[in-house]
Amino acid sequence: MKLLKKELRLCLHPTAYLMPLLSALILVPNYPYTVSCFYVTLSIFFICLSARENHDAAYTLSLPVARKDAVKGRVLLSCCVETAQMLLLAVFLFLKSKIGYEQNAAGMDANLALLGEAFLVYGLFHLLFFPRLYRDLNQVGKAFAVASCAVFLYIVLSVVFTYAVPFVRDTLDTPDPEHQTEKLLFTAACAVFYAAATVLSVRVSIKRFEQMDLQL
Amino acid sequence: MAANDSPLDVQGLTKNYPSFTLQSVSFSLRPGAITGFIGRNGAGKTTTLNSILGYVKKDAGEVRFWGLDMERDADRIKQRIGFVSAGMTYYTRKPLKAITAVTRSFYPAWDGAAYQNALKRFGLEESKTPAALSNGMKIKYALALALSHRAELLILDEPTSGLDPVSREELVEIFLKLRDEGKTILFSTHITSDLEKCADQILFIQKGRLTADMPIDEFTDAYRLLECEGDVPAQAQALSLGERRTRKGRTVLIRRQDAQAAALPVRRPELEEIMVHLEKEEER
Repeated sequence: MKLLKKELRLCLHPTAYLMPLLSALILVPNYPYTVSCFYVTLSIFFICLSARENHDAAYTLSLPVARKDAVKGRVLLSCCVETAQMLLLAVFLFLKSKIGYEQNAAGMDANLALLGEAFLVYGLFHLLFFPRLYRDLNQVGKAFAVASCAVFLYIVLSVVFTYAVPFVRDTLDTPDPEHQTEKLLFTAACAVFYAAATVLSVRVSIKRFEQMDLQL
Repeated sequence: MAANDSPLDVQGLTKNYPSFTLQSVSFSLRPGAITGFIGRNGAGKTTTLNSILGYVKKDAGEVRFWGLDMERDADRIKQRIGFVSAGMTYYTRKPLKAITAVTRSFYPAWDGAAYQNALKRFGLEESKTPAALSNGMKIKYALALALSHRAELLILDEPTSGLDPVSREELVEIFLKLRDEGKTILFSTHITSDLEKCADQILFIQKGRLTADMPIDEFTDAYRLLECEGDVPAQAQALSLGERRTRKGRTVLIRRQDAQAAALPVRRPELEEIMVHLEKEEER
């Protein structure tokens, strides 16, 4: 908790407040809604970039903090920002359902399965971004470039799947509450993937950070 | 002195880089003393300190603080030490108040009154950001943080670099006061005149090897300097540990015993003169 407090007070970038609000994009007709998750990954990139510029790693390790906890603190902050976005997404999903449902021609409809896709995007991002970042803290841009390429590829594929994969087209990409059980199971499976990917990402990142020579 | 009594005991510390090696550095700090860590830029001072503090991973050797191993007991050790670096540029746009609020939460022994006293003593304002502080004030802020968690050992990496003579003098006085309060200080610098004013012990590192570890008076008394207006006499050349050109001629560093035996007209050199002559010789 102390480290989360440190992350929130010293490392949180202003975009981390702003980007989750872009969940409101699901109110826009015919838009690839998973892109709103990309904006959140962008804010995580800014957090890590500003941490590098402020010599955050050197400060953190000057405190009675183990390297592994420094990694956990940063990933936990990212999870908090992502959770905030998903909660806002749920709020806007509810609002959209009240305003009037309409089919999305650019990917998944604004429905429960969209939350599952958000979990997938963040899980994938964690898996690629943090282990690369903690191999070399100065290469934050490279880590983000690789992770965001994968995220964009997934976003493109997810749009294609809503046309080409029958299960996605006929079951997941449908108005709520149709196929609610399947969507719920899909979202739960994606949440499990998110959790597993995050744990794996943290483990690999810790291993790499433990071996890293910090350039002060 | 037993290793357990020493605030810091380093044995065989080695770190290999492609173009530089820290070669089996060993030393122990005397409690309640100021130890100056000297050497030219790139000699290995910062690498030694960073390896000691775990910022860089050592390839071999042992680092013990009060007998505790840094790798196993880092948390307990960091509660008792304070690290101050001249290049300290943490969160330059955050007010000191915010940095302090976070820092204090990691130290159960945090002493709020000591912090307020340090702010007053050093003339620091909490509403300012590090970006608005001079280099000297940044060092003082870092010292204030270290003193407020009751650090018993202060590790200072080039704290006086880039400071004007008055600010340096002021810091040296602060270090002396801290020593009087029982703090142990390890002070790396290439500005040797600062050490002559405050250090008790000296560690001298050359090209990654520790070449001297002794009381400063013993170190400076071990050498003599011969000033020659013309050519260096053959007798002095044979005893020379290092030569340097000056405006008037040449100076030669000689061991005290050799100078006395040869009855040469020498004087006691300053720390900087010893360092420069020995480095010049190393270069040849």
